[in-house]
Amino acid sequence: MNKFTILVIEDEKNISDFISKSLTYQGYRVCCAYTGKEALSLASSLCPDIFLLDLGLPDMDGMEIIKQIRSWSGRPIIVVSARTQEDDKVRALDAGADDYLTKPFGTSELMARIRASLRNSSRLHNDHGLPLHPYHAKDLKIDFFKRIITIQGEPVHLTPIEYKIVAFLAQNSGKVMTYSAVMNNVWGPYAESDNKILRVNMANIRRKLEINPAEPVYIFTEVGVGYRMADDEDNE
Amino acid sequence: MKKDTIQQLLHDLTATAGLLLLTTILTFLLFFRVSDNPINIALFYIVGIITIARYTNGYFFGIFASVFGIILINCFFTYPYFNIDFSLPDYPFSFLCMLTLSLITSTTTSHMKRQTKALAAHEKQLLEAEKEKMRANLLRAISHDLRTPLTSILGASAAMDEHWNNYDNTEHQELIRHIHDDASWLLNMVENLLSVTHIQTEGSKLKTTPEIVDEVVAESVTRLKKRLPDSEIHVTLPTEILMIPMDAMLIEQVLINLMENALIHANTKHAVELIVEDQNEHVQFRIIDYGIGLNENYLDHIFDGTYSLAASSDVHKGFGIGLSICQSIITAHHGTITAKNHSAGAEFTFTLPKENNHE
Repeated sequence: MNKFTILVIEDEKNISDFISKSLTYQGYRVCCAYTGKEALSLASSLCPDIFLLDLGLPDMDGMEIIKQIRSWSGRPIIVVSARTQEDDKVRALDAGADDYLTKPFGTSELMARIRASLRNSSRLHNDHGLPLHPYHAKDLKIDFFKRIITIQGEPVHLTPIEYKIVAFLAQNSGKVMTYSAVMNNVWGPYAESDNKILRVNMANIRRKLEINPAEPVYIFTEVGVGYRMADDEDNE
Repeated sequence: MKKDTIQQLLHDLTATAGLLLLTTILTFLLFFRVSDNPINIALFYIVGIITIARYTNGYFFGIFASVFGIILINCFFTYPYFNIDFSLPDYPFSFLCMLTLSLITSTTTSHMKRQTKALAAHEKQLLEAEKEKMRANLLRAISHDLRTPLTSILGASAAMDEHWNNYDNTEHQELIRHIHDDASWLLNMVENLLSVTHIQTEGSKLKTTPEIVDEVVAESVTRLKKRLPDSEIHVTLPTEILMIPMDAMLIEQVLINLMENALIHANTKHAVELIVEDQNEHVQFRIIDYGIGLNENYLDHIFDGTYSLAASSDVHKGFGIGLSICQSIITAHHGTITAKNHSAGAEFTFTLPKENNHE
């Protein structure tokens, strides 16, 4: 099997170590960069399949690295940041990062993010953006062609807007979607900047989809950033 | 700073001009309509000048007003009317009187202003000192609380390092689990502290955004379950969707702290209940456990951070700090938080106002 190459850009040796150990164990090829300069030179010489970037590097601003990488590569960038920096996360996502991880994170979370990002990027390269098969997670199934959502085989009735939101999230399952990304996709580029309408819709969707809205299993909220839909189980 | 001085100057100038104008008009009305007794003219101007000296900064405007007042009196109210004539013999005396008056008033005012300023500064210092004391107390309590899990982590990892071959697999697993537990407890504590700095850096004005109650509750339950996977929490949400202004991260912290208390410290026998109710002016959150209950003697002090010290020694570390942080968060949101015992355990209730009436 052709191993995926992951470039880990992280200045803390301990964290970098634990990430690279668990990634190597999972069968990825890992390279570590400890400074922004090192990262950029390694990035251009290795052409890694995925970037794992800590925003707080000693020599460079993380945003700058995202911009530079994005100027020549479309491979997924996963940003690692501390909690409470919602603005940073959103800015990083807007600058072109694909997803983010909040410190501290466990290995299982890290693996899930990497899998989701790789899947999304390969889909982007291979077909026309539409997943060819229905979405499936736990009891929830979405048929994108018939536009039908079922839970345990029972159809769920959603309004057209609600369906659009769920379908968009499902097509990007496992990946965080910012409020603005969802708004632009569902309401078009001239959508209001206020995301209240989206969030009210989401609360309604949750009441229809989730058995217990207080413990969602399909659509998760990333506070201050956006939503993440549970991983598609039929993939790979 | 410069802008302030210009503004002050502008204010003083308008006050002076306005008051002089008002005085002149009033005197005019009195003198030409009611009675032409000249005593009242001087009295009117004196009142005007004293007011000006009182409400302006420094001496300049008072002196200016007295000079100008004399000129006005001379011009309008002494014979020959509407003519300035400085040849009158009593003119220098009245001028001196007015000047002295304005000087005295200005001095008193300046002195008074200085005193108020000093008093305010002193009060601020006292408040700062009080805050500093609170911070020191908190730091002391935290350092004490942080040492326990750190000792356990260091001890466990050192033991594994030194005696790797002496332990069997289950012992290794147990030690690793302890390290993991203590580290996640530390993480929660750090997050609590972060929320405190969040309140303090934002000052008294919290940065709130309208948040959907469902989302905040869901997020906090999910985060708590990540840490304590076996916990049972029964959530009841109102049927309508509620949006209330808050700092979501802080309110999540409050919910997590209260639910964690209920799960760990109270030894609850049934699932913890979290009930959200829509009341007219505010939204009420109730966290009910079925455990040991609270020590009635310390109920009054439960939120001031000393509960765990005062209560029996087996109370889990960090209990008191968590609650005092909850209170500061809720207070910063203009809500209320209370604790009480019910027949089979304890109940914490907090409310958040629905509208931002405190801007």
